Amino acid sequence: MSHVNYVTFTIVLVLFLVVTLTGFAAARWRRAENMLHLDEWGLGGRSFGTFIAWFLLGGDLYTAYTFIAVPAAVFGAGAVTGFFAVSYTIMVFPIALVFLPRLWSVARVHNYVTPADFVRGRYGSRGLSLAVAFTGILALMPYIALQLVGIQAVLTVMGVGTTSTNTFVKDLPLIIAFLILAVFTYVSGLRAPALIAFIKDTLVYLMIIVAVLYIPTRIGGWGHIFAAGQAHLKAISPTTHKPNGVFIPISGNSQLAFSTLALGSALALFCYPHAVTAVLSTKRRDVIKRNMALLPLYSIMLAFIALLGYMAVADKTTAANVKKAGNAQLAVPYLFQHLFPSWFTGIAFSAIVIGALVPAAIMSIAAANLFTRNIFREFFKPDASPALQTRMSQWVSLVVKLGALLFAVELPHTFSINLQLLGGIWILETFPALVFGLFTRWLDRWALLAGWLGGMVFGTIAAYKVATPTTSHWAGSVDIEFGHTVYIGLSAVILNLAIAVVLTLILRAARVPAGADETRPHQYTDDPAAAPVPVPVTPGT
Amino acid sequence: MTQPPVKSKSSLATHPVTSAIIAIVLIAAVFFVLYVPLYARATPKVGDFPFFYFYLLIYMPVLGIVLWIIVMVQRRLRPGPAPDAPAAAADPGEVAR
Repeated sequence: MSHVNYVTFTIVLVLFLVVTLTGFAAARWRRAENMLHLDEWGLGGRSFGTFIAWFLLGGDLYTAYTFIAVPAAVFGAGAVTGFFAVSYTIMVFPIALVFLPRLWSVARVHNYVTPADFVRGRYGSRGLSLAVAFTGILALMPYIALQLVGIQAVLTVMGVGTTSTNTFVKDLPLIIAFLILAVFTYVSGLRAPALIAFIKDTLVYLMIIVAVLYIPTRIGGWGHIFAAGQAHLKAISPTTHKPNGVFIPISGNSQLAFSTLALGSALALFCYPHAVTAVLSTKRRDVIKRNMALLPLYSIMLAFIALLGYMAVADKTTAANVKKAGNAQLAVPYLFQHLFPSWFTGIAFSAIVIGALVPAAIMSIAAANLFTRNIFREFFKPDASPALQTRMSQWVSLVVKLGALLFAVELPHTFSINLQLLGGIWILETFPALVFGLFTRWLDRWALLAGWLGGMVFGTIAAYKVATPTTSHWAGSVDIEFGHTVYIGLSAVILNLAIAVVLTLILRAARVPAGADETRPHQYTDDPAAAPVPVPVTPGT
Repeated sequence: MTQPPVKSKSSLATHPVTSAIIAIVLIAAVFFVLYVPLYARATPKVGDFPFFYFYLLIYMPVLGIVLWIIVMVQRRLRPGPAPDAPAAAADPGEVAR
């Protein structure tokens, strides 16, 4: 592995340079008069139409880690823990179509930048807003770190930076890539990932279309690919003495795990602050709606990416390489390296590297906005000017990325992976306050806060206790509730909701004040064409 | 609770039947993928694809088309300032574009 393929490496390097230049040039793209406003730096001027939003959302939601981890999971364990992602990215759009337009409208009217802004306005509760902001930042950090893990997988297979034993030298290419990302995000804000998303998605579609058409002809056709996958998953693992995985979920428990994982992840996706950031960057309500119909195109691509996992099983050389490296996440990089000429491998690897930069940039912007709006401005400087808020967010985005870099370089990868798994469970705990809040004020703010806490604690402990014969803790995201295998996130959010409902009834009976609600019902369906001007809430309405 | 009454009529109020159909279609769209026993089968194979994998693959373009139709229908239903007037004419989005 120590020899570098220079053709592949050069192509990755050149495309990375193109992306870097694009990232800096983005600062001038669709430039506004006053850039020192969080709507500009943090939301791209709330100006993106259907076309740009499609690339931005696609680039945001289908991350490099997805390209690495989903096929790795399919490679290792098959349908339940891997291919459920396909079912999840199907469900997410009809569900999101119901509530995202409402979130867009109310955020547009009230100039909300983050999901926690909305919760603050809706419930008049700083505590609940802080909980949502805190959860968002907590869930995003490991997610950003995992984007780096995606880059690392590619660098490892390319043979870049793996020869030295010194951590710093070993990870130098990664550090440089990330510093560049940090600087252009600082300069250009959300415009950078929006513009780079075009390059990313073009490369990703190219990579996947070629792979799907070409690889089966090389390794014996789809019939052989599925047969190899099935045989591998049926085989008894020497460590666990159980089959490696599930090819088609036939047993009741595997079906339940499959569907609860998909449903829970689908509910969680648009609670993630980076997803909300991309949603709020659009200029009209219809842009969001249309994108819910157009984004399933990406899911088709995701399905084929997932199937790359079986291709890696079917290709004996790749399977052997992965086994030797002991890391299923290298399955896709090895598959491309083995089956494609160096130059196309370079394009595919660039797609993954650039595919990591786009979401990492948006996530760091989202985390920075959360900090600035819902912690800094809320608790330390309520009179912070738009310019100060923007400066603050710019710096925080740097800090967030450095934190993620430390995560990826210093801590074992399993740590980031476990945390991201937890992140999904955690972010789902903001669902009741955020999504139910878009439809009703019935739930009490303190009850929601208590429910959030209950869900967080339960979810964390339950995930900690998941064990397999090879791993003592954090071994997965499903556990057994009342004899059924269920996604922990889903059981945690049901507990969360139960607490919230019961406490709401109690607090209502005790006549605890409900707090001020600055939103009005019609604002959830409004479609203001002009970018929002801060609307003062008329007293007495 | 101090919720003021709804001022502008929602599309739900003005077009109850269409809204109900949309709601049913959306619920069905989730149900047919959530209820795994429907498609967790190896046969009938479509080409070389086991039915389970084929079903999920074909679901996505179909879903995209269905959601697109829903969005277009909702567009026509959108409540304007006067809900009885043709909604499309009062739509500022068309003018802006």
